[in-house]
Amino acid sequence: MSGGAVSRSPAHTAVLRLPGGRTLLVQRRTQRANLLLALLLAAAAVMALSLGSTVVAPHDAVTALFGGGDAVTRFLIQALRGPRLLAGILTGTAFAVAGCLMQTLAHNRLATPGIIGIDNGATAFAVASVLGVGIAVAPPAMALVGAATATALAFGLAGGTGTRGYRFIVAGIAIGALFGAVTQLMLARVAIDAANQAYPWTVGTLNARSADAVWVLGAGVAVGLPAALALARTLTVMRLSDFTAQGLGVRVRACRWLSLAVAVLLTALAVAVAGPVGLVGLVGPEIARHLSAPASVPVVGAALAGALVMVLADLAGRLLLAPIEIPVGIVTAVVGGPYLLWILLRASRMTP
Amino acid sequence: MTAAGSNGAPRVGEAGTRMRMTGLTAACAAVLALACLASLLLGAGSVDAGPALAGLLGHGSEEARFVVFELRAPRTVIALVVGAALGVAGALLQAVTRNPLAEPGLLGVSAGSAFAVAVALTLGASAATLRSTVAQLGALGGCLCAIGAGRLRGVGDDPVRLVLAGAALSSLLAALTSMLLLVDQRTADEIRFWVVGSVAGRRLSDLSGILPSLAAAALITLAIARPLAALALGDRVAAGLGHRPGTVRLLAVIAVALLVGAATAVAGPIAFVGLVVPFAARALAGPDIRRTLWLSVPLGALVVVAADVVSRLVVQPSELPIGVLTALLGAPVLIAVVRARRLPTL
Repeated sequence: MSGGAVSRSPAHTAVLRLPGGRTLLVQRRTQRANLLLALLLAAAAVMALSLGSTVVAPHDAVTALFGGGDAVTRFLIQALRGPRLLAGILTGTAFAVAGCLMQTLAHNRLATPGIIGIDNGATAFAVASVLGVGIAVAPPAMALVGAATATALAFGLAGGTGTRGYRFIVAGIAIGALFGAVTQLMLARVAIDAANQAYPWTVGTLNARSADAVWVLGAGVAVGLPAALALARTLTVMRLSDFTAQGLGVRVRACRWLSLAVAVLLTALAVAVAGPVGLVGLVGPEIARHLSAPASVPVVGAALAGALVMVLADLAGRLLLAPIEIPVGIVTAVVGGPYLLWILLRASRMTP
Repeated sequence: MTAAGSNGAPRVGEAGTRMRMTGLTAACAAVLALACLASLLLGAGSVDAGPALAGLLGHGSEEARFVVFELRAPRTVIALVVGAALGVAGALLQAVTRNPLAEPGLLGVSAGSAFAVAVALTLGASAATLRSTVAQLGALGGCLCAIGAGRLRGVGDDPVRLVLAGAALSSLLAALTSMLLLVDQRTADEIRFWVVGSVAGRRLSDLSGILPSLAAAALITLAIARPLAALALGDRVAAGLGHRPGTVRLLAVIAVALLVGAATAVAGPIAFVGLVVPFAARALAGPDIRRTLWLSVPLGALVVVAADVVSRLVVQPSELPIGVLTALLGAPVLIAVVRARRLPTL
């Protein structure tokens, strides 16, 4: 890859020359897919800014976002819709990248944080934090503890049977059910107003996000996305088999732990913002994988597709039954559920 | 249970099994009676066990008698009926799909039932009248979805995959149900406490609506118990013994729909009972479906009554939905079954 003169690239790829004489092999199809997803995301973002109970022309919305236009529009865009859009993009990115890493790691298409109970673990601990059960630490930190606990449980219990098959997923669903029950238990114990305060976490919505949590998530994505990109090339090799990867010089254990840590971090911080919107972590990577070149682990594509799904789902939730708002978690469940069923009922191929 | 052996040796074994079954049944009944007593005496209200016992025996204060006979007795009876129905439904569904993980709550049968009720209420049907019929139709739909998925190539061979598909269907239907609740405030108020699964605040009159269908389901179950046992040996063997596998399966599905629909109509969707109860019954009495079905009646009732008592006690003065407790009980069982190297074959 580096050093020697690269005269011709293999078919369907291009060589990207970076400053400093380094070169990077990129898949043309993946590039096209990422470009398409980025354009779609931009369009969805403009729609999310301009549509709602008050419709703002797209041009005015973008102007207001950058500080132009009249005061009312500026308030609407900068204080209300802009932060919500940002939260949507960040959570979608985080869920989808975490899903992509975990699918690759477990050699299992269905092993996304939302399905194997990691979301629910994070939710249970975040709700505990909101309700002041036990120690009062900020929700993102508690969500991190919960996600790590659920991950340890899921992968620990999978020890005997491995993570490739359906059994791992069912064990994960059971873990999710356990944490869901614990969440209900805590909500039943507290006074009604405290329960109302914690309720958004249980359905998944962008309506009740706290600004602090969004900032923490932003920092998490800023760390996690480059880490995932750096891991993606190694993970591509690890998709073959652990022995092959080892033979090619990959430090399999270190790579696996690191990917798991990044996935847990991103999931937990995203749950602290939006609650369990788990199916984004399945749908985002799947879209990216369909569009991208088959050889690679499509981290960038998954990030873009996840953000796109999240923004569109939130927009649909705001518009469909206005003035009632459908929580984004319900929208993704209604859209992602049939897709999940379709995977389950027809799939012969389980490894991503 | 009276397949007479032609020589002496099996007959001794059979007599032993029968004694074992009698003992097990008696033990289950005794524990169940204790649980019912606890359900009558303990509770979140201001009446403690002592005054409640006095009330139960016919003296004691007016308040104690009211609490015991008007509040706690109906919910105990309903918990008994709902638990027995769900336990038997789980055992039947597992026998029909030959899948030890098939559970009405997990496969989407309860969710289908709840969704059907939510749709009916949104369309303007008033609560109590149609609820049980609609719930049973929804349960039938959910059953047929699960059976249809089990017929697909690849899915039916793998019990775990069928459960996954069912879980996906359940969560989809749950999302649709909550969407309906968001749309229609009136519906939401009517069934908000029902969709979480609970026996609190139910009246005995709720029970009278479902008794005919429960009786029908019981008759069907009695009629198909023997053919189901033959079916466990394979369709050809069953056909050779003079049973019609297709008819037996259809009847079993109808019975499951009647039982789950009735239970859901009264208590809302309660998951995991149909998994835990047949699992325990098989562990106690062996793989014969007739014994599993028989023991599922007291065990199912026991699980739901006990869950109801605990749900009143842990978060006093408020109450916990029963579904939370059955999930706490059932999820570890599910993990244990899935983790076993070899799934038990039915």
